[in-house]
Amino acid sequence: MKILLMGHPNVGKSVFFNRLTGAKVFESNYPGTTVDFMKGWMRIGGEDVELIDVPGTFSLEPKDKAEEVSVEMLEENQDSVVVCVLDASKVERGLYLALEIIEKGYPVIIALNMWDVAEDKNISIDAVKLERILGVPVVPTTAVSGEGFKELVSRVKDATPVKIELIVRSMGGGESAAVS
Amino acid sequence: MPLSVDERWDLIDKISKQTVTFGAYKHTLKDAIAELTVKPLTGIPVAIAVIYGFWSFFCDFAGTLFTDGFMVRLFDEHWLPWLQSVFPGGLGNPLYALMVDAGHIENGVLVASDTCFESFGVLTSGLFVPFGVVLWAVVAFYLMFAILEDVGYLPRLAVLVDTVLHKIGLHGYAIVPTFLSLGCNVPGVTAVRPLETRKQRFLMITLLAVFIPCGAQIGIMQDLVPELMGWIFLTLAIGYLGFGFILNKIVPGKSPEIIMDVPPYQMPMWRNIASKLWIRTSRFLLVAVPFVLLGCLIVGLMYLTGAMDWLAAVFGPLLMGWFGVPEETVAPLIAGFLRKDLAVGMIGGLMEQGIMTTFQVFTSVVLLCIYFPCLATFVMMLKEENWKEFLGSIASLVAMVFVYGGLIHLVGIMLGVA
Amino acid sequence: MAKKLSEMNFDEEGTVKEIEEEFRKQIAGMGIRVGKKVRMATKQPIKGPVVVEVDKAITSLGLGVAAKIVVEEE
Repeated sequence: MKILLMGHPNVGKSVFFNRLTGAKVFESNYPGTTVDFMKGWMRIGGEDVELIDVPGTFSLEPKDKAEEVSVEMLEENQDSVVVCVLDASKVERGLYLALEIIEKGYPVIIALNMWDVAEDKNISIDAVKLERILGVPVVPTTAVSGEGFKELVSRVKDATPVKIELIVRSMGGGESAAVS
Repeated sequence: MPLSVDERWDLIDKISKQTVTFGAYKHTLKDAIAELTVKPLTGIPVAIAVIYGFWSFFCDFAGTLFTDGFMVRLFDEHWLPWLQSVFPGGLGNPLYALMVDAGHIENGVLVASDTCFESFGVLTSGLFVPFGVVLWAVVAFYLMFAILEDVGYLPRLAVLVDTVLHKIGLHGYAIVPTFLSLGCNVPGVTAVRPLETRKQRFLMITLLAVFIPCGAQIGIMQDLVPELMGWIFLTLAIGYLGFGFILNKIVPGKSPEIIMDVPPYQMPMWRNIASKLWIRTSRFLLVAVPFVLLGCLIVGLMYLTGAMDWLAAVFGPLLMGWFGVPEETVAPLIAGFLRKDLAVGMIGGLMEQGIMTTFQVFTSVVLLCIYFPCLATFVMMLKEENWKEFLGSIASLVAMVFVYGGLIHLVGIMLGVA
Repeated sequence: MAKKLSEMNFDEEGTVKEIEEEFRKQIAGMGIRVGKKVRMATKQPIKGPVVVEVDKAITSLGLGVAAKIVVEEE
């Protein structure tokens, strides 16, 4: 198993990565390109698991070369768990990427990072309800201070693939329900 | 079954309605600063102050504190004399010339060098350039850059310079690869990827490769010719914008406008900065040191075998006639293929021998910046561009060097300084 | 009153009515969608980019892109 760290640019992903991994961190070259990404190991339940910091992307429909590589990296690591790092003060657009990854069938765990920034801006998110709706673990984190990281690590094992149809249905979506 | 784009946003709206509440909110001091640094009236003075602070730190920390205060003394007063006294062979011996000191002819007599800029041995200049000067410049640069990056200042700078950069077919984001290239062109070339179109990436890579000197080069220039730095940067900036303007007109393709997220300011996390600094610096050492040593060796061998004199005789007329620099400049230009810092260091050697006028020093330093990217950058360009683009970059590069180099010479003649 | 986003002045607010197809997807990724409230945070001079605030997040858009967005001002 590998763990991929994905998210928009500027959500504090590299700080996130630094917190999760130990001292053994190195920069790798993505084969055939000049794109570099960080690789390291994190300890989950007494085991060392490889963690890859995928370059930031807004969506899985790449708009530039940098994003193309992120999508390829996701596709090449089919057996991975994806830790999707969201900026808690910009949840909606973060959810777009998270949903895309969920739709592709990956087990996802969502980190609502920059929780402190969201609090500063008086934005409150019901993480428990969000978790119930999506069916994937949702953990508030603040990478700069380290808050929420213990919980995040302990909950990686709870990440399972979710059918998007279930989420749509639970929100009263689908053709029939949309009318009511 | 994947959703369509609209279905997905629709779903997100529903989810967000149930889980997210935007409370009443007063603008804080942080927001005020965030807005002031992006508004032109206040933002531009702040940007100038930030860049000035960056430059002062670069000069004080790297130049004055480490290089002049410590390294120059260590190398010129202890390391060089010690090697000169213990290394077998002595002046005139080929191995001694390659490894320690080639010396130079003064009034028909071969004399020993006084500084590690002049001596040009693998063990003297070869170590002094990377460890005595360049390393500190690179560390200072990347430290400051990592802080600006982590604080979140760069996107604001991008907004402020967008108007100007849009005129040359790029947009504000291009300030990131440009700025990063001032540390090293290699990651700079990599950083063009977030530009949306092939045209923009081509323009950016070509302009970087030609007009942006790297931190290693700037460190050496600052050490050798601090009084010329303003003129050098001005000349390069004019070239960057002027040729960018022309290339934008010639190169086909689209130049989309900026669409960019401006993240909030963040307190930098030192561990993150330390890790970035370590990765970038160690990578620099890995690339730079072998090339500097190799460069010293190759240049030394070319002197010993007479190849350099032959090249100087062949290219001398072109160099003197078109660019207005003496034929001896051929040696640094050749070294520049491998490492720009090493090449500028050689000009320092020529200066100390009194071969060049100030204007010739200025011209040759600028020529070194623009005439060819270093080997590592060259390899990176090959990887990032396709063949057509790569050849296009090279062709533009050659054209720009001749046009701009000639133009500088012409201006010098008109001002009466060339 | 409906007007283009590019015509809004500093600190004016409005609701997004329409975004031209060409940019819709990319701009949505920045949080700017139909029905969202926008505030003009800065306009750069000489046809420079605009800086807008949506859901308390800041985005910079070229003036030409901003001209493709229609806003209903309150």
